[in-house]
Order: sequence, then C-alpha cells, then structure tokens
Amino acid sequence: MVTEPAYEFETQDILLNVGPQHPSTHGVFRMVLSVDGEVVRDLVPHIGYLHRGAEKLCETMDYRQGIGFMDRTEYLAAFNAELSYVMAVEALTDIEVPERAQWIRMILCELNRLSSHFMFMGAFGIDVGVFATPFIYAWIGREALIDLFEEVSGDRMMFAYFRPGGLAWDVPRNFKQRVNEALVVAEQGIKDFDTMLTENEIFVARTTGVGKISAAEAIDWGMSGPSIRASGVPLDVRRDEPYLMYDQVEWDVIVGENGDVYDRYYCRLLEMRESVKIIRQCLEKMPDTGPIMPEKMPRMLRTAPGEVYVRTEAPRGEYGVYLVSKGGNRPHRLKVRSACLANLQALRDMSVGQYVADAIVVLGSIDIVLSEVDR
Amino acid sequence: MTNESTDQTETAPEDDLSSTIWPQVDRALAGITARGEAGRIDLIVHVPRDEVIDALRRLKTDETLSFDYLRSLTAVDNEDEGMDVVYHLYSTTTRHNVTVKATLPNEDLSLDTATPVWKGANWLERETAEMFGIRFHGHPDPRNLLMPEDMTDVFPLRKSHPLAEIEILQGEGMGYPEEGA
Repeated sequence: MVTEPAYEFETQDILLNVGPQHPSTHGVFRMVLSVDGEVVRDLVPHIGYLHRGAEKLCETMDYRQGIGFMDRTEYLAAFNAELSYVMAVEALTDIEVPERAQWIRMILCELNRLSSHFMFMGAFGIDVGVFATPFIYAWIGREALIDLFEEVSGDRMMFAYFRPGGLAWDVPRNFKQRVNEALVVAEQGIKDFDTMLTENEIFVARTTGVGKISAAEAIDWGMSGPSIRASGVPLDVRRDEPYLMYDQVEWDVIVGENGDVYDRYYCRLLEMRESVKIIRQCLEKMPDTGPIMPEKMPRMLRTAPGEVYVRTEAPRGEYGVYLVSKGGNRPHRLKVRSACLANLQALRDMSVGQYVADAIVVLGSIDIVLSEVDR
Repeated sequence: MTNESTDQTETAPEDDLSSTIWPQVDRALAGITARGEAGRIDLIVHVPRDEVIDALRRLKTDETLSFDYLRSLTAVDNEDEGMDVVYHLYSTTTRHNVTVKATLPNEDLSLDTATPVWKGANWLERETAEMFGIRFHGHPDPRNLLMPEDMTDVFPLRKSHPLAEIEILQGEGMGYPEEGA
C-alpha cells in the first residue's frame, strides 16, 4: 500500500522594512513588518526622525515666539495648531479676544481643515493606487485655499497669524469675497472627489472592510478626529466643548459605522461639506468692522502662575496644548498633545492580519503628519 | 491684572469645588487620600503616587464618571519639588474632564504604568520616560520612543538639561573633533 509521505515545510516570517524615506510613509516614518507571504503578522512602528524638541525650545522663548513652533508641528493645519497655543496663553493671561477676531479665526481654521483634507484625499488616492489623478485634483482646491491664506497671513504654510489676544493684523478688505471665491473652488473639488472615488468600484473594493477598529478599541487607544468618528464614536471637541463661536453655527458631527478605511475616507469627505456650511454661516454672522485685538495689550506678555490644558479640533483630531506657568514671560512647561501620535499607536491593531499593500492603505487612512507626531 | 489673577488661584479652591465634579470624584476615590483643586478649565485632583493607578482605574470604571478616554499623559519638572506626572482624562459619555496629578520625589522617579488601564498610555509613557527619566514599572515596551534607542542617560526635558548639550553628545558619538582640538 502506498501512503503519502508526510512532508513538513518549515515556514518563516520575513521582516520587511518600510521607510523611513518612502513616499507611502507620508514623511519620515519607518515600520518593520513581519510578513507571512503577503499577510502582515506583526508591525513595529519607529518614529522620532523629525523630533526637534519644540516643547523644550518653547520653554526658552517668549510666549509670542512660541507661535512659530506650533506652525512647524502641524504644518498642514497650522492655523488649528496656533489656535490651541494662543488660546492656552489667553486662558492664563485672562485676555478677552474681540468678537470679530474670533469669527476670522474660525473661518481660517475651517478653511485650513478643507485644505488639509484635500491633501489627504490626494495622498490617499496615491496610497490606494490611483496614481497622480486625485493628487492633481486635490491641488486645484488646495491651491485656491493656500493662495487665500497667503493673502491673509503673508505665508503659504507657516502662517504665524494668530496672536494671544487676536490676530497679527486685519484681513484684506475683500476677505469675504475672496473666501466665497475659494469656497466655490473647494465645493467643486469636493464634488470631484465624490464622483471620482466614493462610488469607484475599485476604490470601494480596495478599502471596504480593511483596517477595521472598533469603537471601544479606538477610545482605549485615545484616537480622535475623523479616525475615531469613522468607528462610530461622535467625539468632536467643536461640539462637545465649544470654543470660538462653534455654539452659534449649525452643523452635524459626521459619524461612520464600520471603522474601516472606507469610512475614514468618507467621514472626511462629508466633513468637508460641513466645513463649507460652517464657513458660509460665519461669513454671514461676522461683523464687517471692529477691533481684532483688545485695546490694551501689554508689550511683554506675563502670565499668572497656573496651568491649563486647552484642546481644539484640528483636522486630524484633538490638538491639545498643556501649558504650565510659574509666572514670568516664558512657559515653565509646554506639552503638545498630538492627535496623530495617538492615532498612529493603533496602527498595529489595524494592520495585523491584512495584506502588505493594505497596511500602506491603513497608514494613509489615518492621515499622519510626522512633524506633529515627533514634535 | 497679574496680581489679581494670582490671588484668585490661591484663594479660590476650597469654596468653588462644590460646583465642579469634585464631590463625585471624591466619592469614587473613597479610601484614597485625594485632594481637589479648582483649575482654570478642569478640576485638578492630587493623588499620592502609590495609589495613582488605583485611582485612575476607579475613575475609569466608576459608573457615573466613566473617564474612559486618556487625552494626554506627561510630566512637569518642578526642580527641587520633584516631578509631577499629569494625566488628562475625559469621559466620552458624560463629557467631564479631570486632571490627575501625582508628585514624585527626586530621589525615586518611578511610578506604576497606566497601560493596563488605557492602551493609549503606552507611547505617552515611553515619551515621558525618555524625556524626564521617570521609570514606569511594568511597562510592556520600555524602549525610547522619539530619541535614539541607546540614548538612555540623557533627559532633555529636565530643567537641569541645557539646550545645547544633546548636540555635543551626538557630536562625540559621530566622531566629530572635540572643541579646541
């Protein structure tokens, strides 16, 4: 009788290094994948390549000098990053911000959310494998917004436009008209992405059910922003703890269902529509004239001893600034709570068990900015 | 302006606490010697460092509070007065905020890990450990996070650490000529 010989093949997981300099890692991020064939068995992320010690540097500088460092932590949404910082300084110095300045801040932050999400749409398209087309389309909307930012602040990305107390200078006289023009371009861009990706058969097949994370897990990891809302957790600082004028406008918190890559994409797309809605209401309610700074501002900002933790909703999630003061004109300790750091922590849970190509898509879907992760 | 606000922070706490969530926190932390302080935005709770993990777990599992979300974890170097480890908690259901603080003496900068309570504490503790030289007992992965992995004897965010020292140390490692050579 012939019996089948029992062959036993030994298999071995292969270590695969991705990054630190690789287009799909969105900056300098390295991950070591342990792969079994095409399936990811383990993932070890390595960060810190962009660590510049912004927190330590801020401790040695005057409060107003710290604004520039905040721009450089979150360079795709610098208005949002500045906002947390100046609000923390304002909370410690008891400065009242004039109403008009608050409306302008809010408009700029939401416009910045749009431009940041456009960047996500473009880069994510490339991660999924739609080479170049979405990226070019994203640039149309983003460029219109960035031109507007340049007219307002004088810089395309590193704005340094918010100041403790208000704004550095007034907006151009045709600001409302320019915002409306930019919004028309942005709305067309949102529509373009909607038709290009949302029901695209290949895109849907590539992203649905990939990189799932449950609501409970997402809360446990401390995720925030669209990444946690896609898992069905309606966590949004703008609504939960309204700052600026968010309690005076009407909009919806976009919440997903499945917590997969597709939902994280779609949440962002719908969120862009909400941002447009918010900006339109702001333009209506914003007074045309009025002060943008309190009348009396000290030449040198000195804070009372104390501490605050100020959080705002940046495009990637909760951007928090923990500011400890012992009096004087410099922070005793400044800590930046990075949304991307928390979101990135969950990457291993989301990627293990997926294909290698999907691990790249998962990484793209949490929309990391490495300089915010490393600070 | 500065003087007025200083007075407020010094005298306010005891009376103002009734309007905050301190009574609920106090009840949840029965048996732990916690002390409440009215912060500018959030309530601050001081907890002895041996009981901090127990306190955090109780705050998380308490039914009326359920602080299930760890916003931030960091430390503050107060030089002669030791170091504070600061936890910023949030409840996704009740939307309350609380800041928990534990003071470590300079002779023994160590604390139990909060990773069993929130997974998200993992990287935050690694960062705090490498930047301040605080040891978190029982941490599952106590490597450096942002700094080079072999740089375990330099703690950049301590007040005693000057800004330029890291560059000099890195320079030596990379074989740059010493100053004056």
